[in-house]
Amino acid sequence: MAKISIPIGPQHPLLKEPLSMKVDISGEKVYGASLRLGYVHRGIERLAQQRNYVQNVHLIERICGICSHIHTTTYCHAVESLLKIEVPLRAHYLRALMCELERIHSHLLWLGILAKHVGLETIFMYTWHDRELALDIMEEITGGRVLHAANQIGGVRFDLDKDHIAMIHRTVDKLHNKLDRLLDVIENEPTLIARTRGVAPVSTELIKKYCVVGPVARASNVDVDMRRDNPLPPYDQLSFSVVTFQEGDALARTRVRAYEIRESIYLCEQILEDIPDGPVSTRVPRKVPEGEVIIRSEAPRGELFYYVRSDGTDKPARLKIRTPTLAALCLLPVQMSEIQVADIPVVLAGVDLCVACADR
Amino acid sequence: MIEGLLNLLFFPGMAFQVICALSFEWLDRKLLALFQRRVGPPWYQPLADMIKLFSKEDLLPKGVNDRVAGLLPIVSLASVLTAGLYIPVAGFSPSAFEGDLIVILFLMSVPTLAYYLAGILSIGIYSVLGGGRSLLQYFSYEVPFLIALSGPAIMAGSWSIEGIIRSQYLLGPFIIYQPLGFILAIVGLIGKLKRDPLDIPSASSEVVGGSLTEYTGTKLALWHLAMNVQAVVGIFLLINLFLGWTKLANPIVAVIVFVFECLILAAVLSATSAVFARLRIDQLAGMGWRILVPLALAQLAMIILMGV
Repeated sequence: MAKISIPIGPQHPLLKEPLSMKVDISGEKVYGASLRLGYVHRGIERLAQQRNYVQNVHLIERICGICSHIHTTTYCHAVESLLKIEVPLRAHYLRALMCELERIHSHLLWLGILAKHVGLETIFMYTWHDRELALDIMEEITGGRVLHAANQIGGVRFDLDKDHIAMIHRTVDKLHNKLDRLLDVIENEPTLIARTRGVAPVSTELIKKYCVVGPVARASNVDVDMRRDNPLPPYDQLSFSVVTFQEGDALARTRVRAYEIRESIYLCEQILEDIPDGPVSTRVPRKVPEGEVIIRSEAPRGELFYYVRSDGTDKPARLKIRTPTLAALCLLPVQMSEIQVADIPVVLAGVDLCVACADR
Repeated sequence: MIEGLLNLLFFPGMAFQVICALSFEWLDRKLLALFQRRVGPPWYQPLADMIKLFSKEDLLPKGVNDRVAGLLPIVSLASVLTAGLYIPVAGFSPSAFEGDLIVILFLMSVPTLAYYLAGILSIGIYSVLGGGRSLLQYFSYEVPFLIALSGPAIMAGSWSIEGIIRSQYLLGPFIIYQPLGFILAIVGLIGKLKRDPLDIPSASSEVVGGSLTEYTGTKLALWHLAMNVQAVVGIFLLINLFLGWTKLANPIVAVIVFVFECLILAAVLSATSAVFARLRIDQLAGMGWRILVPLALAQLAMIILMGV
């Protein structure tokens, strides 16, 4: 059959964010793909240079709608370490609680998208329904479901009382039950396994060569997790295990994320157990002393990298953000060969793209 | 003459089939919604959708033969409506003749071929892909489907549905003798109707809308209607062939039993589409030829041996 090239995006039922891909196919076989990015570029790094540090917290929260909290957390960590101030430990715990809730809802959202892509819409409906539980907690404690405005430089803007903690315990328990049912589906549903097992496996070497991070890397047996390898407080005081799988195919990626949700649930419970008393924020000066800093943290999709340089004014001289999706995007065309047309959605879902993060 | 016209236009012809098709679509969507913890549409939603589509602008890409593109949905709809005319409904069949099962099976294949043509003749790349897939799928499900449906005919020794039903009055419903054949027929029907999990030709995440990607307005509404009438005809056919024991003293009871059986089968179709992921085309072809065809042949051999 003749080779043809089909466009996937910028608008396609497959994509939730704009991204353009040309896939070369012949019959049902895929031979290669090329990628075009930049449809949601908003110039955030440049905008950040024109605003002061406090305003930037709100700008940076709007980089992404799924992992908004980890962006501001990392940014605040960066500015706080430039300022050399001590943030109350309770604030760190509250930030971590939000980070884990965010990971839960991000992974559940992703599971739903994968299920939808393989035509299992029931699981899509169920995961998105369960994800509401995590969003409910976030709304209850910060007031926002998607954009939480929870962080400020020097601490957080919310605190937990007894009712909150009881509510979180209750909801997390419920979430745990729902997750067990979901894991049962992932491990046992024959059609779901048939569609994901052995699809576009990626070797450990390739992952390392392309510097891919996060769940995609962990599914290919690359044991990286910034929460353990380079922990920001309070992760150095929490215990959790890093989930890795050997196969590197779509099924392994699904399982990595599903089991990570479980780890995050355990972490939430641990945080609620260990959270110290005290204030949740400190006063900070407007101007930041000269210097530069690199902070790395673990976003739901992998390592998030922030570089901030200050020239002694109240505005950053340079803010550089590297999101985990960027590496995964580079790997995407490589995976788009020797697969079938029906595997394109599975591969695309497998890398869990956050195009808004990558384009900024 | 007048009776024939009434049969053609009202019962069991066009009006009846269309009403059944819209009810089936609503039932399917509502059940699927309930399985997925959603609310689902109100009862008039399929009709409202159709009216809305009829009022939409009718667009086709440049270079597509307008007449052929318009003819294909009409041909599909006409063929499935004709098939519906010959299928007994609760034992009532004004136009039955010997060999009508074969005619119905032929007429029910026409929409698939029209769907393929619609894809191939369209300019859009997704349509071409969807069309090619529909033909590949046709070769995978059609053989086990036909073998499964020939089971009741061979058992009854007649190729008319009327005859098959009559023989079930004596022997009891054929589902008792051919449970495997019934399951295979359901799988084949799902493939024929391009329903989830065998909606490979129209998988939205892969080929957008399949052959119908470029269709709009009235033509799209006719396509949808043809698919739904096909579903209803398929359900009636399966019920008649495998559960056609509705010769009861009271015709009202017979109608109730028939409707009940149809609803159960429709619910089975909805449940299947809710719990399975879509298969890949190579997986379907493998399943069709490695599993379904041998099973169907085994069932057929059993029937023949039973007859001896």
